[in-house]
Amino acid sequence: MQFDLSDEQQMFRQAVREFAAKEIAPNARHIDETGEFPTETFRKMGELGLMGIPFPEEYGGAGGDTVSAAVAIEEVARACGSTALAYAAHMGLGSAPIFMFGTEEQKQRFLKPAAAGKYIAAFGLTEPHAGSDAGATRTTARLEGNEWVLNGAKMWITNAPIAGHIIFTAVTDASKGKNGISAIIVPGGTPGLSFGKHEPKMGLRGSVSTAIMLEDVRVPRENLLGDPGRGFNQFLKVLDGGRIGIGAMAIGLAQAAFEAASAYAKDRTAFGKPIGAFESISNMIADMATGIAAARLMIYQAAWLKDQGRPFSQQAAMAKLFASEVAEKTCRDAIQVFGGYGYSQEYPVERLYRDQRLLTIGEGTSEILRVVIGRHILGGFVGN
Amino acid sequence: MHIVVCMKQVPRDNSVKINNDLSINAEGIEQIMNLFDEYAMEEALQWNEKLGGKVTVLSLGPDEWKEQIRRALAMGATDALLLNDPSYANLDVLGAAKVVADAIKKLGDVDLVLAGRNSTDDESGAFGPALARALGWPQLTYVGKFLEVNDGAKKMVVERHLEEQVETVETSLPAVATVVKDINEPRYPSLLRIKKVAKVEIPTWGAADVGAASSAASVAGRVPPPPRPKGEIVDGADAAEKVRKLVDKLMENQVI
Repeated sequence: MQFDLSDEQQMFRQAVREFAAKEIAPNARHIDETGEFPTETFRKMGELGLMGIPFPEEYGGAGGDTVSAAVAIEEVARACGSTALAYAAHMGLGSAPIFMFGTEEQKQRFLKPAAAGKYIAAFGLTEPHAGSDAGATRTTARLEGNEWVLNGAKMWITNAPIAGHIIFTAVTDASKGKNGISAIIVPGGTPGLSFGKHEPKMGLRGSVSTAIMLEDVRVPRENLLGDPGRGFNQFLKVLDGGRIGIGAMAIGLAQAAFEAASAYAKDRTAFGKPIGAFESISNMIADMATGIAAARLMIYQAAWLKDQGRPFSQQAAMAKLFASEVAEKTCRDAIQVFGGYGYSQEYPVERLYRDQRLLTIGEGTSEILRVVIGRHILGGFVGN
Repeated sequence: MHIVVCMKQVPRDNSVKINNDLSINAEGIEQIMNLFDEYAMEEALQWNEKLGGKVTVLSLGPDEWKEQIRRALAMGATDALLLNDPSYANLDVLGAAKVVADAIKKLGDVDLVLAGRNSTDDESGAFGPALARALGWPQLTYVGKFLEVNDGAKKMVVERHLEEQVETVETSLPAVATVVKDINEPRYPSLLRIKKVAKVEIPTWGAADVGAASSAASVAGRVPPPPRPKGEIVDGADAAEKVRKLVDKLMENQVI
């Protein structure tokens, strides 16, 4: 049993923490207030090698592992949720599928620039009528000569209008149901792609999530990602990995709220002593620390299983479910520790609370994750 | 061009707590690269990018300092050397400078030594000058700008940023220079390099490898400085009165 991060993983953490403290955290409030995407931050992240941590160097990555990527997302989230979401979506959803299922040519053409931080990547799965029920995808792709022609609409696609490429799921064979869904890579700026407005959201306002309209979007036949008709299975695998990223993001946000609340509990006095001296406050701090510690172990374990090449789907689902719920409770309690100040925008905890709220929804709602976990344990009959 | 950067690992200033018995509380101390040395490292890396050659990060300290040596390697230093020996444990500045000078002489091909103007823990600012003296090389302290580093002609021209003037100085190489804050913007360690340096063996020399060096003095003990006297709040009915009172006090104490 080994619970320490390796020297390399610790150096990754230290480097990302340092960068995040100086370059990301000071900007967090501004991008929350304005919804401005932190383009300059991402340029610098690319220079450092942050944008492709888990991918090999020959594909523009940093040659790290899933644990390092999770640690990096956690540290970025500790500084700024909006930046972390764009980052996690870029790496786990926009880039990972090409590494997992792409041809050598696709890796050179799409993964390399994404991993090296030349551009940000996105993954277009959710549709207005198909969120958790992704098998109900309506977007279509038909082959015309040597081109795929895509038509349809996507919804809530993180990084959509700024992405250098978007991987779309689309029905390529309507007669085969779920097995007729494929994934196709579409470079940003391809004619026929248009984007909805920047959705006003409760939190994570600096990350750009929009609707996408696809009208006769034409890409070469070789942009099909992986086996035709395997799109559905592929994105289930992608989501398994993405959940580790979202769980890591939850830990980062929770950690930030916990640190703010602990510092405030020592500093703020009431009835002649620091409020942390009252058990009702110290109990909340203790629960925060306990929840975060457990969630972190679960996320790192899921990441580690993935790095070992072992099945991790159930662990990733459990870890994301647990971490996102810990984050919600922790950020809620952090506001409670701050009292009235916690509700004001003067302190970061209200932002953290709004930011974490997505995490029990995105990349598998808590409800769907319980279904996933239940099926792993009890078999396929549950919910079918 | 071979540039050596002398780097010290120091505690982050706000992470150090003093116990009731005035000893240092070792818990929670975060070790970082001395701020001024970080600027020296960046300067060395920038000149190395222009001139080629080697940048060696050199530290005199315990094994734990390898952490920041690795950080320097992740920033881009090409070589590393740690000087570690039980006899070095309590060296004072002069003693440390002599050991480092011996090591630099032994390296042999060094053209320029850079260091921070001082460390943020001991703050003596004496290491650079002592090292230059021990090497018998020119010393240029408080350098705020390197105008020219000429490998072929073995000379360099720098600006020394002094309290009341900027002095432009030309010197032959090899030389020792200490740098001030904000001479550049230090880069972050690259994740791509971390992968390469995380497990790399850091060459370490003990006293036997460096050769004999004797220290004039050693550090006998440390105590925190006496607490700062309490401040005073100038009170008054309105701003005008407060300012008047404040000015009176400043004049009384001959501040203005």
